[in-house]
Amino acid sequence: MESPWDELALAFSRTSMFPFFDIAHYLVSVMALRHKPGAAAMAWKNPLASWFTAMLHCFGGGILSCILLAEPPLRFLANHTNILLASSIWYIIFFCPCDLVSQGYSFLPVQLLAAGMKEVTRTWKIVGGVTHANSYYKNGWLVMIAIGWARGAGGTVITNFESLAKGDWKPEGHEWLKMSYPAKVTLLGSVIFTFQHTKHLAISKHNLMFLYTIFIVATKVTMMITQTSTVSFAPFEDTLSRMLFGWQQQFSCEKKNEAKSSSNGTGSLASKPADDSSDKVKKKHAKKTE
Amino acid sequence: MDLLSALSLGELALSFSRVPLFPVFDLSYFIVSILYLKYEPGAVELSRRHPMASWLCAMLHCFGSYILADLLLGEPLIDYFSNNSSVLLASAVWYLIFFCPLDLFYKCVCFLPVKLIFVAMKEVVRVRKIAVGIHHAHHHYHHGWFVMIATGWVKGSGVALMSNFEQLLRGVWKPETNELLHMSFPTKASLYGAILFTLQQTRWLPVSKATLIFIFTMFMVSCKVFLTATHSHSSPFDALEAYICPVLFGAAWGGDHHHDNHGGSHGGSHGGGGPGAQHSAVPAKSKEELSEGSRKKKTKKAD
Repeated sequence: MESPWDELALAFSRTSMFPFFDIAHYLVSVMALRHKPGAAAMAWKNPLASWFTAMLHCFGGGILSCILLAEPPLRFLANHTNILLASSIWYIIFFCPCDLVSQGYSFLPVQLLAAGMKEVTRTWKIVGGVTHANSYYKNGWLVMIAIGWARGAGGTVITNFESLAKGDWKPEGHEWLKMSYPAKVTLLGSVIFTFQHTKHLAISKHNLMFLYTIFIVATKVTMMITQTSTVSFAPFEDTLSRMLFGWQQQFSCEKKNEAKSSSNGTGSLASKPADDSSDKVKKKHAKKTE
Repeated sequence: MDLLSALSLGELALSFSRVPLFPVFDLSYFIVSILYLKYEPGAVELSRRHPMASWLCAMLHCFGSYILADLLLGEPLIDYFSNNSSVLLASAVWYLIFFCPLDLFYKCVCFLPVKLIFVAMKEVVRVRKIAVGIHHAHHHYHHGWFVMIATGWVKGSGVALMSNFEQLLRGVWKPETNELLHMSFPTKASLYGAILFTLQQTRWLPVSKATLIFIFTMFMVSCKVFLTATHSHSSPFDALEAYICPVLFGAAWGGDHHHDNHGGSHGGSHGGGGPGAQHSAVPAKSKEELSEGSRKKKTKKAD
């Protein structure tokens, strides 16, 4: 019973990402780019910019991790085969006659297959990031978590910056502070894999990879089928945040009835040297309106 | 007698420059930095809704100087995050300041005498960071004066120089405000300190490094404590700058400082400089007026 399972996990963890899973990843990433408003028009007007954006979407995580580790951010360009693969996928998605590819992609099973395969590459990226960071910092598990996360989910950060630089995105609403589902699940994964790497978690790596991949593929597919963007984490997160960060609110709710003025009093005690003073005024207004 | 006192001063400076920073001084650095984060408008609501972003902001406030210096010198940006104990300490401080029941920790820290002690200790860390930064840059570039000054400056002023990026993390994007346009006292003092330490490092200043650290720390501590105690936003350099800058940079700079002239009087003569100075003069004035008003309000409340 034990050994076939083990063999399966081991064989799975040795699967090469290169042709098929990478293709799925590029396909999903570039399709996500294409569904943004104005992307198709931009590809006709300025193919080079569109190509570059597509590359950022495909290789963003690697770029972010290179920046964090002070490696050349353009290292991804050295990987010719992957660049050619991603470029050809970009080309057929944007310039295929009759839009055949995007019509094919709109067929749900195809989407599910591609998304599932993309999630598999995520596991591989997280593991790669954690081991890579461990080769720099033997004991820096925070670094390992950060690099694993950057590899797995850093693409969104990079593309956000790219659209910020283009000026078609304003961070005023707190949208980008809300961690998206992939970012959260990648963070979870990179914490788990870091613990596994530092031997705090008594499970072999291939088993963990197998289980984690199954988990993220299953959640992603259920999400796509049920068309929900908020996922199973919500209740769990709610209790956790109430446990960790809810202290003050509970107390303040009780307190608010008794002494509302005391909270204003603390504000006046606060002294603040050499800082932006107009902000202070604004803050006071905010406090008063509470 | 003279010799003896000089000797003891030198020894005092030497032993002062060897005090380990880690637990106590670093702790006060984190406390004061995160306190400033809490003063920012919207920071508290942010910590309720997006704890992760708030934590990242707090880390930037605590370790921004290292990150920026690493960026400039081409070292891994998350180099400092391999110091697990420092990061954990800073995270604990962040948690206590934002989420302590009844806001107890925040109230204790904000109590003025306590805060003054922490501010003084923070300045000790700042001066030490400048010295270390310049030593580090000297190690990379032996004759790179400007590299040394820049590294020391960045190490001293910390997150202030990357405030735009830090605001972006909090969902505020104001590219038109910039620390370089309105340099605060710590930023300026770090710049001057970096120049002094660079001169010392290249042996143009005939004092030992320990003495310079000691003297500059005393200067910074006394200035910062005085400023914090009096809730003042002016800097001790203002008087000096008011004399020097008109000589060096002409009338435009003088207008910025005295607030007497109007923009129109110093427009055309300086091709590029004029409009910029004009632009910065107006917000500076209104801001000062606002701060004056809010300070009065605060004192009234405290009464």
